Amino acid sequence: MGFEFSVITDSIPALLEGAKLTWIITLLGIVGGMIFGILAGLGRLAGSEYLGEAPHNTLSKTVSTIIRYLSGGYVETIRGTPIIVQAMFIYFAFPMLVKSLTDIERFRIEALTAAVITIIINAGAYIAEIVRGSVMSVNKGLLEAGLSLGISRFQLIAHIIGPIAFRRMIPPLGNQFIISLKDTSLFIVIGVGELTRQGQEIMASNFRALEIWLTVAIMYLIMTSALAVSLRTLERKMKIF
Amino acid sequence: MPPIIEMRDVCKSFGQTQVLHNINFSIDEGEVVVIIGPSGSGKSTLIRCINCLEMISSGTLIVDNIRIPEHRRKIRDIRLEVGMVFQQFNLFPHLTALGNVAFGPQKSRGMDKSKANEIASDLLAKVGLADFHNKLPGQLSGGQQQRVAIARALAVNPKVMLFDEPTSALDPEMIGEVLDVMKSIAQQSGMTMAVVTHEMGFASQVGDRLIFMDEGRIVEEGKPGEVMKNPKSTRLTEFLGHVKHH
Ligand SMILES: Nc1ncnc2c1ncn2[C@@H]1O[C@H](COP(=O)(O)OP(=O)(O)O)[C@@H](O)[C@H]1O
Ligand SMILES: [Mg+2]
Repeated sequence: MGFEFSVITDSIPALLEGAKLTWIITLLGIVGGMIFGILAGLGRLAGSEYLGEAPHNTLSKTVSTIIRYLSGGYVETIRGTPIIVQAMFIYFAFPMLVKSLTDIERFRIEALTAAVITIIINAGAYIAEIVRGSVMSVNKGLLEAGLSLGISRFQLIAHIIGPIAFRRMIPPLGNQFIISLKDTSLFIVIGVGELTRQGQEIMASNFRALEIWLTVAIMYLIMTSALAVSLRTLERKMKIF
Repeated sequence: MPPIIEMRDVCKSFGQTQVLHNINFSIDEGEVVVIIGPSGSGKSTLIRCINCLEMISSGTLIVDNIRIPEHRRKIRDIRLEVGMVFQQFNLFPHLTALGNVAFGPQKSRGMDKSKANEIASDLLAKVGLADFHNKLPGQLSGGQQQRVAIARALAVNPKVMLFDEPTSALDPEMIGEVLDVMKSIAQQSGMTMAVVTHEMGFASQVGDRLIFMDEGRIVEEGKPGEVMKNPKSTRLTEFLGHVKHH
């Protein structure tokens, strides 16, 4: 059984279907992950001088503390558990939980939906740390310069902290996006027909491990390179100082 | 007319350490007050309390009839009345010189972009940087950056300007250009100013009053020429000897 090039050409349509699904899960996952990550990252900084004024009255102090603990709890929970357990939890355990807590009889989450949710919450936690670190790296003098002009906290975040921190986030974000893309291969365990799963299925029918896994690996490499190149382009466009 | 800035029995502590002890002082409209004192004596803290970058721990601060702590929600109004220039310039690195100066009028005064740019353009000309609109801070010398920073603070149209050692981070040959701009603001626009500096020439030429601080207290105060000629305390005598030799 030598290397058969035709095995590759025959398998390509099915593998491309899988790659398409991988790509969809990744894109939805990182878009949602960015939203979660920005909220949780800023949430962990609630009430700190990094976001403008430290709160003065007890109500806003309490609110900031609650936000900080919620965001911190989320980040630490996700970082402290394997993504495969998170996927299992969302796909199998969460519907059980809903059934036991409510009267809903047939609560189910589609495997694809579970996959997207898993990437969102998982990437979100790591992105939160990227956001937090970048915001904390903004020179405090710039915040004071902004505040001393009489701008609001929202304007400070939107026009000064945001743009400056965002530039510093791009390299670690690129890293996280690539990790998330590769993490989608784990959804083989909940039966999502993404690229790895497609490869596995073809392999199981023709036993051509070399040709199939080589093709699968190259497809992953093409997708991660596309992510890396677009992030690099964005970085170059924004690197003006 | 009441003073534009007044501090009554102001104390400031950071945690356990008290940095300002019962400060009583005021600044009248149009007055230029120069604050000197050894490092760590509380000069920065004092002027940072005026625009509420630091919150006073006790006492009363009155800026243009806004009282702290009573009117704590009006901190932004105080900051619109009080511009600040920092030792490290703190220009926004992602904005051009024009963008830096137009930022305040546009965001905090709510002006439209073209009006804000017009103001910014005029101010850049005033600080001698008419040809530098599109330069980023990283492309400017220290002296040029500090002049942009002065224009940025003026652009919000404040009644008072605070300067915290505006020339201390500059190479010697650039100090003059920044002091000249400050002098013209004081003398031509009659701006009320509080200036922390060790430039004694500027203090005697431009200052209406000199304040010497030591260990969180105002130790001496008076006409700059007189205070410098006849220091009453040994601390000031020592300090002046030190400054002259540098
Ligand atoms: N944010 C801060 N936290 C703790 N201590 C501070 C802080 N800012 C200033 N201090 C302390 O307050 C004292 C006065 O500092 P500062 O006002 O900067 O003095 P100056 O400007 O005269 O050199 C110093 O002992 C300094 O260490
Ligand atoms: Mg200082």
